[in-house]
Order: sequence, then structure tokens, then C-alpha cells
Amino acid sequence: MAPDAVGSTEGAAPAAPSEHSGSGLDLISLTKDFPGGTIAVDDVNLHVDHGEYVVLLGPSGCGKTTTLRMIGGHEFPTGGDILLDGHSLVGLPPHKRPTTTVFQHFALFPHRSVLDNVAFGLKMEKVQKEERRKRAMEALDMVGLTELSQRKPRALSGGQQQRVALARVLVTKPKALLLDEPLGDLDRLLQLRMRVELRNLQRQLGLMFIHVTHNQEEALSMADRIVVMNEARIQQIADPLTIATKPATELVARFMGDNNIIKGKVVENTGGRLVVEDEHGVRASVQAPGDTRAPGSQALVSVRAAAARIDDDGSPGGLNTAACEVVFVEFLGDLVKLHLTSGGERLLVKVPGDHYPSLRGREGETIRIRWEEEDVQLLAS
Amino acid sequence: MSSSSPPEQPDIDVTELEIDVAELEEAELLGAAPRVERALGDVRGRKGGGWVTLAWGLPGFVWLGFYLVAPLVFIVLVSFWTRTDTGFVRHWTLSNYGVLLHPFNLDNSYWKNMETSFVTSVIAVAACLVFGFPVAYFLAFKVQKLQNQIALFIIALAPFWTSFLTRSVAWAYPLMGREGALNQFLLKLHIVSQPVSAFGFSQLSVRLAMIQLYILFMVTPLFFLLGQVDRHALEAARDLGGNWWRTFREVILPQTMPGIVIGSIFIFVLTMGEYGTVTVIGQGAVSSVGTYIQQLVLGIQYPQGAAAAVFLVIALLAGVFVITRFANLREEL
Amino acid sequence: MTAAAEAATTARPQDRVIKRQLKPKRDWAKWGLGAYFVLFLVFLYAPMILMAMLSFQGYYGGVTFPFRGPTSVFWWKSIFETQVGGIFTHADEIGAAGRRSLWVSLAAGAVVAFFSFTISMAFRRRFRGDGIAFYVIMLALMTPGFLLGLGTQLLWKAMGFNTGLWLTALGANTVWGIPFGFLVMLAVWNRYDDHIEEAARDLGANLARTFREVTLPLVWTGVFGAALFGFTLTWNDFDRTVLLVLDNTLPLEIVGLIQASAIRPDLYALGTATTLVTLALIFSVLIVVTVRLRLRGRRVERVEEELGLEGAIDVAAAPTSS
Repeated sequence: MAPDAVGSTEGAAPAAPSEHSGSGLDLISLTKDFPGGTIAVDDVNLHVDHGEYVVLLGPSGCGKTTTLRMIGGHEFPTGGDILLDGHSLVGLPPHKRPTTTVFQHFALFPHRSVLDNVAFGLKMEKVQKEERRKRAMEALDMVGLTELSQRKPRALSGGQQQRVALARVLVTKPKALLLDEPLGDLDRLLQLRMRVELRNLQRQLGLMFIHVTHNQEEALSMADRIVVMNEARIQQIADPLTIATKPATELVARFMGDNNIIKGKVVENTGGRLVVEDEHGVRASVQAPGDTRAPGSQALVSVRAAAARIDDDGSPGGLNTAACEVVFVEFLGDLVKLHLTSGGERLLVKVPGDHYPSLRGREGETIRIRWEEEDVQLLAS
Repeated sequence: MSSSSPPEQPDIDVTELEIDVAELEEAELLGAAPRVERALGDVRGRKGGGWVTLAWGLPGFVWLGFYLVAPLVFIVLVSFWTRTDTGFVRHWTLSNYGVLLHPFNLDNSYWKNMETSFVTSVIAVAACLVFGFPVAYFLAFKVQKLQNQIALFIIALAPFWTSFLTRSVAWAYPLMGREGALNQFLLKLHIVSQPVSAFGFSQLSVRLAMIQLYILFMVTPLFFLLGQVDRHALEAARDLGGNWWRTFREVILPQTMPGIVIGSIFIFVLTMGEYGTVTVIGQGAVSSVGTYIQQLVLGIQYPQGAAAAVFLVIALLAGVFVITRFANLREEL
Repeated sequence: MTAAAEAATTARPQDRVIKRQLKPKRDWAKWGLGAYFVLFLVFLYAPMILMAMLSFQGYYGGVTFPFRGPTSVFWWKSIFETQVGGIFTHADEIGAAGRRSLWVSLAAGAVVAFFSFTISMAFRRRFRGDGIAFYVIMLALMTPGFLLGLGTQLLWKAMGFNTGLWLTALGANTVWGIPFGFLVMLAVWNRYDDHIEEAARDLGANLARTFREVTLPLVWTGVFGAALFGFTLTWNDFDRTVLLVLDNTLPLEIVGLIQASAIRPDLYALGTATTLVTLALIFSVLIVVTVRLRLRGRRVERVEEELGLEGAIDVAAAPTSS
């Protein structure tokens, strides 16, 4: 059953900085060129409010990490500006910025004890020794590691190291926390657990978190808003629901996975309703008010795998259906992924797990799938 | 509607398998594993250096420029200048080279020395390789824990840091001399009837000493590279049917080639330029290019000495060139 | 008997335990190579051991075997005291040369450590010309010492100065030591996580403090190793120093004694002494390294992590002081 994503995306914050209200983080035309000629970040515009959890998502090399490093002061932009509460950060070195970064492999100081690691920021602020220890122990208490305060980092497990890294940055009371693939080094089950813990932490602290990852699930689960990037540019900025159900571009649709992409030509354009047909005759219709493309022009649409269903009651072909051959029936516990092929193109349908008995062993058979027009998403080309 | 017949053994025709390579590649691109991203990050993260790099590097390279490059450059310069009774004067000439290339000289001291030194160096390289490889192999493959490997390596290495002089002395007199331990040993066992003087101050003892002194330069890179050989690749080779010799030749040897090249280059260059050992052990009975040049220097024949040194450098470069060519050739084979 | 009871008493085929004699396979290669290795060590250490033995001969001790006793430290004394047992020794010159060697070697150690560190710092990033720079360092490693001595002598003559221990020999010796130290530092930087410095900067440390608090403590062992290289290489050097000094360093003194006078066991004592200095340094480093590796601690248990049982964060306990 297609979920009722009725066009509007609730709670989506504006993509472009429509108001420099003076509060929050603003990236304005941020650009980074490397001397060799590579453009790592190309004209990125983003506004983040205090208290928001924003995730920069994208494949490796898309520029998300470079963007984060520029916010944190570990890279210098070659163009554009970064404002925090109206003040430009670009001239400031990392230690003068009110942002702190949690690094990918935690970057704990191996020669110092856990307590000294956590107290480091306070030491740099010239806080007195007694006060330092007290606040550091409080931070350790928050992450549940007080008994390990005298250990060295190499004697800790990955999850413990991460919690020390968190305590270390939070003790300095930053205005924004930047996280570079924080969950990448953890074992899978711990990853899942830490998603919840991290998100809760952020909510209760009310702090702006900017989190970089290439893991789609992680982004969907944790973000207030997701910024999908590819090849140095922003593809789409929206809340997780919108990203998942209404991808704006082909890259977003492909990267999020579980989307069926139909690439074809417009065969009909009547009153804001396009019909797109691909070379294998699969036709999809989509509502596109204001689109003035003439028949014959290229178009790209996507249909979520979960929005498609099996249509076995023999109704004929036509709009928004496809005849496919079953390649593989993949049982995943709560759901079944049906891998299909239609004229050489791969399609995917997701159905609830209890359908498995009726689907098992049907590889090689031909079945028909169907979806609703409202679930078709027109992608920008 | 699942079939209830027992699964039949599929007759797999490899050509019929449809593997969508494009889709696999795309999946990899879009959902790159953390390890890939980490690797890429490391490569791209090494930012190009700015003035900070310059600041760090300048003192060291100025120092090296003055104490290494300038002296070498000067050797070349002086070889073109003219000698005086107190040294040399900046009067350009090619006569120094002419003298060395003169037919009379071609038959004599300098080139003979060059030849001898060359032979010694080649022998040293070959011997260090043959005798050093098993040591490196033992340490890398037959000693279990890394810390034990390193401990034994340091123990084998330590003599290198002691004065080669004292080792040469210790080598020459108590061990190898006419009345040395080796001769006495052989006499006692009646293996020889007369003490073998060849052990003493001779070409042979110089060569043996060279091996002892420089074998470290072969063992170290080999040890390092052998340690990097992927043990799993070796197991795979065994799995696929290779016996020890073939595995060695196909898997281990190619990976150690760079080490062999580096070690050979070092040993060749350093032994060709040897002076001290030859002096001490050879005691005048043996000479090398180095001693020849030293004679010239002592006779205030600086430009001549410089020219001779330049030829030495050319010989060194030629040797290095040949070694690297040889290595490439073997790789092709 | 019931079927069950009967089954319980009958021996089943699968109950039979087969004992196989498993002889551990001998790794002949290991023993063979091990023996070879021991032979190799003997080859390297024999001369020094023989020399040490001969240094303990008595007054009538000779150049070589057989050992002429009685065992005594006579010759050892002769390198420290000017007059022993009625004969004049070379102790004066030896002492002077030894002191010279000591000071210049210490200086060389410091210089090598300094330049190895700074040059390796430059190599932490790519830069234009880093290939050439690397070759220059390799050139330093591969230039025969004798050539360097010659060139230095020529250069300084042309400049109009005399060569000397501190002006030239020190420099020439460091040229040989810097590449070794540099390679050691390269290995250290390889294992070093650059992000640690970024984290320190993030937390409020400026460049100087980052260097002092974070970088230096983590790499000082490499610097120490470079200093050690510089010291030992200079302590034992002959080729580079011989052309450049008027007053002898210890190695020059030794060669001088060999060439000027008959070899006596005092030379052996001297040789053994200098060797012991070097070996003591090397082995002390070895011991320190081993001890530190042992104290490193065991692998950390990760089971709880893998089961997702860890990870609770209690925000209520967050630091409250603003």
C-alpha cells in the first residue's frame, strides 16, 4: 500500500537561505577548488537552524566531508562564505570557532588518559585543574565511562572510544557539533544502537548537529533534514520522508535505493499530466503542472519499490504497469524484495514478508506489476 | 506455487551466466563501503604543501646543499681546473681527463684499480644477496611473533653500528692473519700444512670483510619486503597447486625485487667508493679506486684526483643504471 | 529388556573412538634456516669476540692466538693511564681523541635529529619537487664517504679556509646520518594519525600548543632514534673524517696506531671498548622497545559491542556549569 505522501512535505525547511535571520548556520555559495583542478565543493547553499539535526549524505567523493571540514575550519574555502549567527567564520582558525568536530576514527590522544582527553579542551581554555577534572568527570558520567577515566584509548573498545570522543567535544560547549562518519568504525548492532543514543543526545542538548555519512539508512533514521550531495553539488535538501518518497533527481533516486527508474520519452502532455514511455513500452503517467515539454522530449521518472504491487489478476497492460520476469525472490524477514527484469531493465518490488510463501520459487515466471500515478515521481534531468 | 520437486543439479554453462556488471559497478559507486571512502580520503587528504612545508624543509636542504651537493659539484669543477703546487687554480683544462685516458694509464694503476674495485663490488653484491636472503627469509617467515622478529633483526644488525675499523682489525689479525685463529684451526686439523697467507692481507680478505660490513644493506630491505608479502596470497598459491619452488619464484621473488635492487645499488655504490677498509685490511697490498685517489690527494694532485673521482661517479651511475635495467628485464620475464 | 534399555547398553558404531597418532610435522626449513642464522651471527660477532678475548692477555700478550696469559686488565689499563708496567702508552692521545670523538658525535646526534625531524615534517604533505628532494636525501645515503671528504676538502680550499673537525667533519658526518634518521621519521609519520592534530586544534589549541602537547610526545621516540643513528655513525666514522681533520678522532687514532706501530693488545682493548659503547646503546634501545611492547596491554573485548549491548548515554548527567 502506498503510504499517503500527498505532495506536501511537512516540516521541510527552505533549501536556500531565504532569510539571513542572523541565527543559525549559513553556507553561502561555498566553493572549494583544489590546486590540481578538482572541484570538491561547488556553490553550496544551505541554512541550518540551531537545534536541527542535518545529515550530509552522498557517495564517496561527493564533497560532503570537504564541506564539513570547511565549516569546522580544517579546510579553507576558495569561494563563498560561512556565517554562524550572522558572523563570518571563514577567517577564524578551528580553535576560535564555536564549532567542534568529531572525527571519523575518533582521533583520541593515545598518550593521554581518557580523563585527560576529555579535559583537553578545558585545559586550552585555561580552566583550573580541579574544575577541569570535575567537569570532565561529569561528561564521562554522561557517557557512562567514569570507571575508565584512567585508561589509555588503546585499551578501549570502538564504542567506548566513540563515547570518549563525544564527551571530549561536548565539554567545551560548542554551538554546533560536526560529525564526520561517526558510526563508521562500529560494529553493526552497536551502530544501530548508537543511532538512537546520538539522536536522543542531540534532542536533549538542543544543539545543532551536522552529520556526514554515506549510509542512506543512517541518514533517514537520524536527520531532521537530509542534504544529498553528488559531485560537489547539492542534489536535494528535504526531510527524510520527502527524500525517500519524492526524490528530486536521478542520483537521489538511485542513491537512496529501492527506486525504479524509467527513462524514456514524453508521448503525451495533456493539461499538466505527462505520459512517459521507455523503449520497452513501459508507460508511466505523472502529474506535472506547469511542465511544458512537448512529446518526443526526454523524461525521467521513478517509482518506489514499495509503491509497486503485484497484479496477478490478469488485467491487461497499459499505463503504470509492466510485465516482468522474476529474477530472484529475496526474503528479508519483514519484507520480500522481488527482483524483476523487464526488457533488460531491472525493476524492484517490495512486499510484506508474509507474501513469501506465494512467491517462493517463482524465478523465471512472468508476472505483472502495477503502481498508482500518484506514486510516480518526475525527476529533474 | 513453489515447486516441490527436488532441486536438480544445474548444468552451469559459464557463457550463459548473466551478470550485470554495470549494475554491480553502479551499486558499488553509490553505496561505497567505508573502507573505500577511507582510502580515498587518505589520498586526497594529503593537501599540497604551502609555505609551512617550505619553512620546515628549508633548513635541512640548505644544510644538505652546503655539505653534500656543493662538495660533489666542486669535485666536478676542480676536475676541469689546473693544479698548482699548493692546490689548484681556476684555469680551465681538460688535461686531467686526458692523463687518465692516456694509453699509458689505461694499462695501469687507475683503470686497473677501477677494474679490481668493480669486480670486488660485483662479488660483494652477489655474495650479500646469496648469503643475506636466507637470513631475511628466516626472520620474516620462520620467526613467529613480530617482536621476536624485530629483536633478532636488531641483534643481527648491531654489529653494523660498531666501528667497521675495529671489526676489520679484529677480522684481519686475530682471525685471518698468518697466525690467526682460522689458520691455526686449519693447521691443527691438518687441513693445510702451511698457513694460508691468502687469508691475511689480500684481495680475498678485503672481499670477505666487505661482505660482512655491507650485508646489512641487503638484509634490511629484503626483511622489510618479505614481511609485506601477503600470507594469504601464498596460501592461495599453494591451494592452486604450487610447490614451494614455484610459489617462491612466482609470488615471493617478484615482490622482493625492489628490495634486491635497492640493496644491490647501495652495496655496489658503497663498495666501489670504499677506502677505509681497503686501507686497513689491504695494508697497501690491495688497492682500490679510493686509495688511488687518496694517493693523488696526498701528492697535492687535486685536479687529477677530482677527475679520477668523476670517473668513479660515472662508473657508479652506470652501475646503478645497469642494475635497474636488469631488474626491469627480469620483471618482464 | 525394553528397546530403550537395550539401545542404551549396546555399543553403537559411532561410539568407537579412533585414536590416531598425530606426529607434529617438523619444519625442517625452520631448523635449517635457524642454524644458518646462528652461523651468520657467529660470522658477524666472531671478530669482536676474539678481539675482546685477546684484550685480556697479560703483558706478553701478542697480536693473535694463542692466548698469552695471565688474564689481566693490563692492556685495558694502558688505554687510560699513561704509564703502566714500565712502558709508555698511548693513553694521552687516545684520551684526547676519545674526547673529541665523544663531543663531535653528540653534536652530530643532535644535528641529525634536528634535520631528520624538520625534513620529515616537510614530507608530510606533497609538494612540488618532493621527488627531487627525496633523491637528494638518497644521494646523501649513497655517496661514498671518501668522495664526500674529497669534495669538502676541495670546496673549503677554494673558499680559502682550512677544514677542521667542527667546521667540516661534523657536517660531512651528518650528511651520512640524516638519511637514516629521515627514514626512521618517515616510518613514524606513517603510523601517525593526522586527525589527532586537527582534533587538538578544534578543542582550542593553537599551533604551538598542538605541537607541544600532542605531536611531540607521540614522535619523540623517532627523534631519539635519529639522534642515536647520528651518534653511532659519527662515533665510528673514518672515510669522511680522515681527509678533513688535523686532530684525530678515535677511529683515526686507531688506524694511526695500526699503521705506525706494531699491533698490541691495547688496540684490542680500545676496539673492544668502543664496540661495547655502541652495542650498549643499541641493546638498551632494544630492551626499552621490547619492554614497551610488552606493556601495551591485551586486545579489548568487543562482544558486548557486537551484540549492541553497550552505548547508553545519560544526558541528564551532562555537565551543568555554563
